[in-house]
Amino acid sequence: MSATAATRPRPGAGTPPPRTAAARRRMLGLDRDAWFLLLPALIPVLVLSVGPLLYGISLAFTDAQSGVTRSTSFTGVRNFADLRLDSLFWDSFRIGLVWAVCVTALQLLLALGLALLLNQNLRFRWLARTLALVPWAMPEVVVGIMWRLVYNPDAGILNNTLRHLHLTSGHTDWLSSLSLALPAVIVVGVWFGMPQTTVVLLAGLQNVPLELHEAAAIDGAGAWRRFTTVTWPTLKPVVLSITALNFIWNFNSFGLVYVLTSGGPGGKTRLPSLFAYEEAFRYGQFGYAAAMGLVMVAVVAVLLTVFLRNRLKEADQ
Amino acid sequence: MSAAVPASEQAAPRPVPLPQPAPPRRKLGRRAGRTGQYAALLCYLVFLAFPLLWLVSTAFKSPRELGSVDPTWLPRHPTLGNFRTALDEQPLLHAALNSLLVAGAAALVSVAVAVPAAYAMVRFKGAVSRAGTGWVLVSQMFPLVLVIIPLFMVLKNLHLIDSRPGLVVVYVVWTLPFVLWMLQSYVRAVPVSLEEAAAIDGCGRLRTLRSVVLPLLAPGLVATLMFAFVTAWNEFFFALVLLKTPEKQTMSVILTHFTGAEGAADLGPLAAASLLATIPSLVFFALLQKRLVGGMLSGAVKG
Amino acid sequence: MRRRSLLTGAAATAAAASCAAVLSGCGSSAASGVPTLDFLSLAWQEESVKANKALVAQWNSAHPDVRVRYVQGSWDDVHDQLLTSFEGGAAPDIIHDEGNDLTDFGSGGYLADLTHLLPAAARGRIPSATWDMARFDGGLYGVPFLQEPRMLIANRTLLDQAGIGLPDAAKPWTWDEFEDIARELSRPGGSGERYGVAWPMSSPVSVTLNLSLTTGGRILYRKDDGGTEVRLDQADSAFAELVRRQVGTDSSAPASALGMGGGDTLPGFFAGRYAMLPLNLSYRQQIQQQAPAHFDWVTLPLPVGAGAPDGGRAQGVSPQTLSVSKGCGHKAEAAAFIDFMTQTGPLVELARGDWMAPTATEALRDPSLTTDKLGWSTGMSVAAHLVASPALGRRGYPEWSDKVATPALQRFFSGGIGLDSLRKKLVRDGNRVFDRYRT
Repeated sequence: MSATAATRPRPGAGTPPPRTAAARRRMLGLDRDAWFLLLPALIPVLVLSVGPLLYGISLAFTDAQSGVTRSTSFTGVRNFADLRLDSLFWDSFRIGLVWAVCVTALQLLLALGLALLLNQNLRFRWLARTLALVPWAMPEVVVGIMWRLVYNPDAGILNNTLRHLHLTSGHTDWLSSLSLALPAVIVVGVWFGMPQTTVVLLAGLQNVPLELHEAAAIDGAGAWRRFTTVTWPTLKPVVLSITALNFIWNFNSFGLVYVLTSGGPGGKTRLPSLFAYEEAFRYGQFGYAAAMGLVMVAVVAVLLTVFLRNRLKEADQ
Repeated sequence: MSAAVPASEQAAPRPVPLPQPAPPRRKLGRRAGRTGQYAALLCYLVFLAFPLLWLVSTAFKSPRELGSVDPTWLPRHPTLGNFRTALDEQPLLHAALNSLLVAGAAALVSVAVAVPAAYAMVRFKGAVSRAGTGWVLVSQMFPLVLVIIPLFMVLKNLHLIDSRPGLVVVYVVWTLPFVLWMLQSYVRAVPVSLEEAAAIDGCGRLRTLRSVVLPLLAPGLVATLMFAFVTAWNEFFFALVLLKTPEKQTMSVILTHFTGAEGAADLGPLAAASLLATIPSLVFFALLQKRLVGGMLSGAVKG
Repeated sequence: MRRRSLLTGAAATAAAASCAAVLSGCGSSAASGVPTLDFLSLAWQEESVKANKALVAQWNSAHPDVRVRYVQGSWDDVHDQLLTSFEGGAAPDIIHDEGNDLTDFGSGGYLADLTHLLPAAARGRIPSATWDMARFDGGLYGVPFLQEPRMLIANRTLLDQAGIGLPDAAKPWTWDEFEDIARELSRPGGSGERYGVAWPMSSPVSVTLNLSLTTGGRILYRKDDGGTEVRLDQADSAFAELVRRQVGTDSSAPASALGMGGGDTLPGFFAGRYAMLPLNLSYRQQIQQQAPAHFDWVTLPLPVGAGAPDGGRAQGVSPQTLSVSKGCGHKAEAAAFIDFMTQTGPLVELARGDWMAPTATEALRDPSLTTDKLGWSTGMSVAAHLVASPALGRRGYPEWSDKVATPALQRFFSGGIGLDSLRKKLVRDGNRVFDRYRT
């Protein structure tokens, strides 16, 4: 094959491929086949995802409540007007942003470091790769209970270790202290989500052209320089994707926090997704909860559009 | 290659080609770097794996030891009692089989359906691709809890309540956004020039997809399969509301049967059962992790 | 059409879109000719699961014409599971749940009114005050069958060492006496640090409401129009103030326990870090199972408020209940099964399995429940004074509890806000929440 390290197009680096998109499509004959390729995914999605989703969105404009005896009527933007004045929701929204940004950023940084290490030719790499995925293998129900045990003020392994090391005298109430609870659940969030990010980055690293690395090494480029000039450009689209998705998930996930703190103490870990869940499932206010969901989608969508503007532009070409 | 590089190297100006081999000072630095890498890896593994070790330790402790204020890593009086109770009380093995079937089927179907779709969305740019990307994002952004009740009704009308295939369908749809999204990144990394070359050689689209694109996607496919499997294996809420017959229930639902109200739990048996629920995923990881590192792309390029 | 919920409307459209066949009714299936009723049970401790399964088997062998299928649920997620399957129209037939959940499910029209379904004998077994715990809006939506009072579990060795005499059910301590004793038992600082009591307050609102009755308060009051009014007068706040004094002023209770669940406090109790624990009756099972050999513990009655009605013995409780779902196709048979489960024999089995108290008068006097062993007799005599929790039947309680009362009480207990501020939050913000549910 004629492609060499020097002339090979670097995928995803933003450099336009040699030909126009239209020419490429014509040559690969994708125009007429696209639907055929999409169909198997499209049908179940239309029936089981788009339908319920549109229906869920439509609830936001009604006063729907749980219960077969309660009637529902169209209320326009009333829910949104109420929501605008709901200071508890906006408090929780701020907490949600702090949580999602911290967890996503820490997850990415730590996972990137881990993926680079696991990509090295180290001994017992297979074992390390397996152990690094432990949090992912554990069911969420168990994860919550395990971490509650870890954080237990009296018999928790964390306080116990700190006591034995004489770092604290020890009975810190990690999960019920107003200042420590949010950081404590963020640690668990990072822990829980790291493997997934690591695997995705590790797979992305396999696409980094080895010969470019070697060439750069022969040129005497240091590790950091090789990372920024060779690894990063290839990895960047994967990093952007997984970061965007991680952010969405973290912003929307509450199961773990619910098991750990139920949103306490004093509402300090009440994520907006937990708020919406309770509104729907505990208080039966389906309409108001759907409005919350829609507002969350809107805000996250705006944030992501800013974050992903380059990738979206590329998709538009 | 790691983040642990001396600062002087980072700040180095664009180097002129140096005579090889490297001077001995560099070699020494490399060895120190290696040690640093092992140390860093160890820190990571301690952080990531200690809850599992704690779970193992808990599973072998008697109730009396679990009530101790000063718990030890090694059980003082190891016992198999928790496993006996757990297996006795709940149909764990049967539930594990259910989980394996449902999660395995869901992962395979989801990835099989997603590969052509992701390929089309990347190569066929325009309205379809944009709508697809938009849907992927919105479906992930809208809080799931608000979709569950309408989804339940659709499934009921399709007679998919209380059936394992029904659960598989839900998991396929549920994991599809992520699977599609990730596969798109991997497809994007496949050089178009390779496909063009195949097209010039007279390969049809399907054949190009199968013999050129698919092999290059392999590491990404494994990662995505793993994701889909584990997500389905650990999923709890759909399994809870969709499956009513006790014989059909999956592992994650069975695990909650060891917990009571207000965070109370039958800790020993719960830990034993959780361990049994965690092991299959770990074995799966251990077997598949090698496939993540094909280095296939460079191989293919070199021909 | 207006009476149907919007969700049912969606189901209709979904049905049209997916060309589906007719709805299949409730969970009962008649495939083999014999109707099968799904019984969603929330029993989770080993003994209680066994007792439930044995009773179901006993019913099935005696009633070949109606089969009952045991389906295991879990307290953590039963509300979500039920709400989803009620809205979707595929709920279990016989439902094990608790009083607080019935408020919403009953008024939401998901549960069958049992008033005319239960035989007179079943109604006579349980005192009428207890029936009121499951009666709202003129309907009876469940059979209260098990309940548990809060007890004071104490480390007998520590109390003996301090020369403190033990109270009995006939003459419990007053809260004032309890406060002095807790202070006496405390030993601040150092490695042998000890607290007289630990208050596990992982659900601070229900504890505060239920125990405010012992000082003659109730915090949530029923208005004439059926709505709810929040008040925090002296009698209402006495209990909350006591906890705060113990944590903040006396240091006889640790702040670090306030976020714990009952079970989390046990290791500290076994290690002598806490001398007494206010815990629900059923925690005796866990204590008996986990306590180190030679650990000497005793079950005492909870302290009482001086001058309160019923001598301050009346605690609030939300009982465990058995209900029939409205969509069930064989309501009479389901009610018959509930009648069977609440007869004295089965009820005693269930109470023993869960280490709780039965609601029925005769079962409460059963010799196997009134032994002096493991605190059973003390528990049963305290249980006789239980009354409905102020939260029962109050629509909007979950929202008030999550949004207003839990954060406010957590901040009050840990010293973040004062009593005036607590009152302002609970009452002003609280009444606003409850007003939302008036119609």
